[in-house]
Amino acid sequence: MIGTVNKPFEEVLESISDYERVGVIGCNGCAKVCKTGGEQAVDTMAEKLKGAGKDVVLKALPDRTCYVYKTHAALDPVKDEVAKAEALVILGCGGAVQITRKVTEDYGLVMPVKAALNSVGHMDTFIEGELAMEQCQECGDCMLNDTGGICPVTKCAKSLVNGPCGGSQNGKCEVDPNRDCAWVLIYNRLTALGELDRLRKRLLAKDWSLMARPRTLNIKEGRVE
Amino acid sequence: MKLTELFDKGEFVVSSEVGPVKGCVRDVGGEEPVCLKEARELKGKIHALNVTDNQSAVMRLGSLAASIKLKAEGHEPIFQMTCRDRNRIALQSDLLNACSLGIDNVLCLTGDHIALGDHKQAKAVFDIDSVQLLHIAKNMNEGKDMMGNELSQPTNLALGAVVNPNADPLDLQIFKMESKIAAGAQFFQTQAIYDPAVFEKFVKRVEGFGVPIQVGFVMLKSPAMAKFMNNNVSGISVPESLIEEMASVPKGGRKEKSVEITVRLLKEMAPMVQGIHFMPLGWSNLVPSVIEQLDLKN
Repeated sequence: MIGTVNKPFEEVLESISDYERVGVIGCNGCAKVCKTGGEQAVDTMAEKLKGAGKDVVLKALPDRTCYVYKTHAALDPVKDEVAKAEALVILGCGGAVQITRKVTEDYGLVMPVKAALNSVGHMDTFIEGELAMEQCQECGDCMLNDTGGICPVTKCAKSLVNGPCGGSQNGKCEVDPNRDCAWVLIYNRLTALGELDRLRKRLLAKDWSLMARPRTLNIKEGRVE
Repeated sequence: MKLTELFDKGEFVVSSEVGPVKGCVRDVGGEEPVCLKEARELKGKIHALNVTDNQSAVMRLGSLAASIKLKAEGHEPIFQMTCRDRNRIALQSDLLNACSLGIDNVLCLTGDHIALGDHKQAKAVFDIDSVQLLHIAKNMNEGKDMMGNELSQPTNLALGAVVNPNADPLDLQIFKMESKIAAGAQFFQTQAIYDPAVFEKFVKRVEGFGVPIQVGFVMLKSPAMAKFMNNNVSGISVPESLIEEMASVPKGGRKEKSVEITVRLLKEMAPMVQGIHFMPLGWSNLVPSVIEQLDLKN
């Protein structure tokens, strides 16, 4: 999922300071898992906006706001209310904000679509409702097969692909003594798997052009363009 | 002079280290910049001088500019390069710059993380790592950039690398050392080490690699400094007994005690390897006395 956290309410309010009638759209996908989207978060935001003197004319909950057709499915039935709003506040990731903007454009509307959340990465959930961690940054050339299923590009603070730096101490990272050194985890895992020889394969510099943004995925043909 | 030439001649190579200042070193009168003053204290006593690259991720005068300045003053600089702040284009360009401006030695490092420094909001680069940097530098010595494009004139640099004998698991550190050698490392400087038994264990594992090693040493300044290093400096471990020994003398006697400990430990560790690398952290003026007492002749 895409991890999200709330922006300070003052910042959200500032972004819509010129508008009175607003719609609140909360993603029912990833943001719901992060407790920043979904019904409860939408209701809370609507109440706070009302408390700040705004007129909340619409509340909506696309299943996954990042799928344009799901956002259409949620907003098409309430298209008139969308048109009544002067601005939309999105409780979703940056993708959700931009897909919603596209949907308003599809309706022929020119209206501000504002982000109420900050997106903080591709997260994997470890404890429901409590803890998620970044483990993959979609580098475009997965090396997990050589690293015991632990990604050094993401889990090493320096994205090192040829073993640990000098800052690895007692199995911990120099950036945060509470964080495991990814390379010690990889070493231990490869030892347990009997795959240590894979470390001998010196890895050449990564091809970061595979991460050059924005990437486009041709789903039909299964390739990045 | 390339350090590799000294090692090839069988010289016991002694180097030290200076950290460029946070500011310019242009001669506009006034007090001499600390890094130049420290270097002067070591002139003629050592073979070469490491010049750190924005060490601890704290923004300072660049390693290349300081290296050139020191070279002009008659020192033999070892230009340190980290992968933290430059991508592969800038790193390769700086290797060309260094060679063009008369630098003979480069030490390739990953670099401390930005989170440890004074510009914590900066975007870290780490486009390539130290192993890859060595590989690229080796290819440039052979006349090609990392894409295989021909250089009109190749670089001619001795390539150094670092290794940490304190590392746990040591196997993983040794694996990385082997990767560095395969990539092009021609000599190694170790992280500071205070336990001759740990060092011996490390040397036994790596002496067959046939690449010269300089034992790294940070002179202890006080019990508090030793404890600080244990808690904050990556990869350093000062045994409790040495901290107590430093604490056993009054403040005024600490320099003398530090020299005594340094000489004692290096007398044990230096014969195991091919050189010493001092990291005096401001106590450069004590290094000549240590060297004299070590009576290095081979």
